[in-house]
Amino acid sequence: MKRAWVPWLALAAVLLIAVAVLVARSGPSHTPAARAARLESQLACPVCTGESVADSNASASRAIRDDIVKRIKAGQGDAEIRDAYVATYGEHVLLTPSNGGIGVVAWGLPVVALVIGAAGIVLALRRWSRTPRLAATADDADVVSRERRRPEGESR
Amino acid sequence: MSRHRTRWIALTIAVVLVAFGVVLAVQHRSEASVPRLVQEHKPVPAFDLTTLDAKTISSHALTGKTYVVNFWNSWCIPCQQEEPALQTFYAAHRSEPDFTMIGIVRDDSSGPIRSYVAANAITWPVALDPSGSAELGFGTTGQPETYVISPTGVAACGGLGPVTDADLEAWLAVARGGGVCG
Repeated sequence: MKRAWVPWLALAAVLLIAVAVLVARSGPSHTPAARAARLESQLACPVCTGESVADSNASASRAIRDDIVKRIKAGQGDAEIRDAYVATYGEHVLLTPSNGGIGVVAWGLPVVALVIGAAGIVLALRRWSRTPRLAATADDADVVSRERRRPEGESR
Repeated sequence: MSRHRTRWIALTIAVVLVAFGVVLAVQHRSEASVPRLVQEHKPVPAFDLTTLDAKTISSHALTGKTYVVNFWNSWCIPCQQEEPALQTFYAAHRSEPDFTMIGIVRDDSSGPIRSYVAANAITWPVALDPSGSAELGFGTTGQPETYVISPTGVAACGGLGPVTDADLEAWLAVARGGGVCG
């Protein structure tokens, strides 16, 4: 078979290009509008319960939305903008916990719970594999050997 | 699994839960009835507003004075409840050259505010904050919120919710003395 590898090569090339395009497109957009929308959804409305700045129509949220646009225009980075609101309202203005301070607990606790849970499952499985659920007793062995010795066709 | 090991795992879980509880308790304590700006005794954020009688009022121009900033609006019931205390307090101090008091409107519009000011004979300067810049700078989380700013421009004292005349007098004395509320 001559050049049978050509279609496979073409398929691999198509797959590679598709993956590259997907990776490139799945990254966050860095346009000012996209950044503003992202920041608005990451910040909690400071006067509401459970609403983001993006979803809320409270005056504080409206002011924050306008302020975010101004800050982006002024060249501030996303982290810098988030930090400014944390300085004004406190850590609870972030809908996603930060990577430092109190945020470590929020991020770390599920990991700790996962590790403890996984360790518990591993220990349990090891224990169960070491001790069989049913073990033959001496009486059981007697019954089996009696039955084996019994001639075929003989009733009990 | 030995009983010893089970105990250690239970103890670890308990320690994590207790630590989490302590963190939550500390978090809750920081959400007191004192604005964050006052808790941290930060410098007053810059503001530049226009009053109902079209005068400009700015933080820069007020440097050197001890002044009260009251965030309020016409539909807020606690704001209406504290208004008599503000009237009494302002009447007692309005003639003092190193003192002023301003009301900054949050989440309300000019019409209802003008009607309210006229109906209740409010004489201290009231400024609208249409862009929300003052509200944002102070980090207000509701109304009423009251701040007493020291002559050096530090948020010395203040509180969330309705204030009394006694609160205001005490805060003014502290701010004038160069101190801050604990």
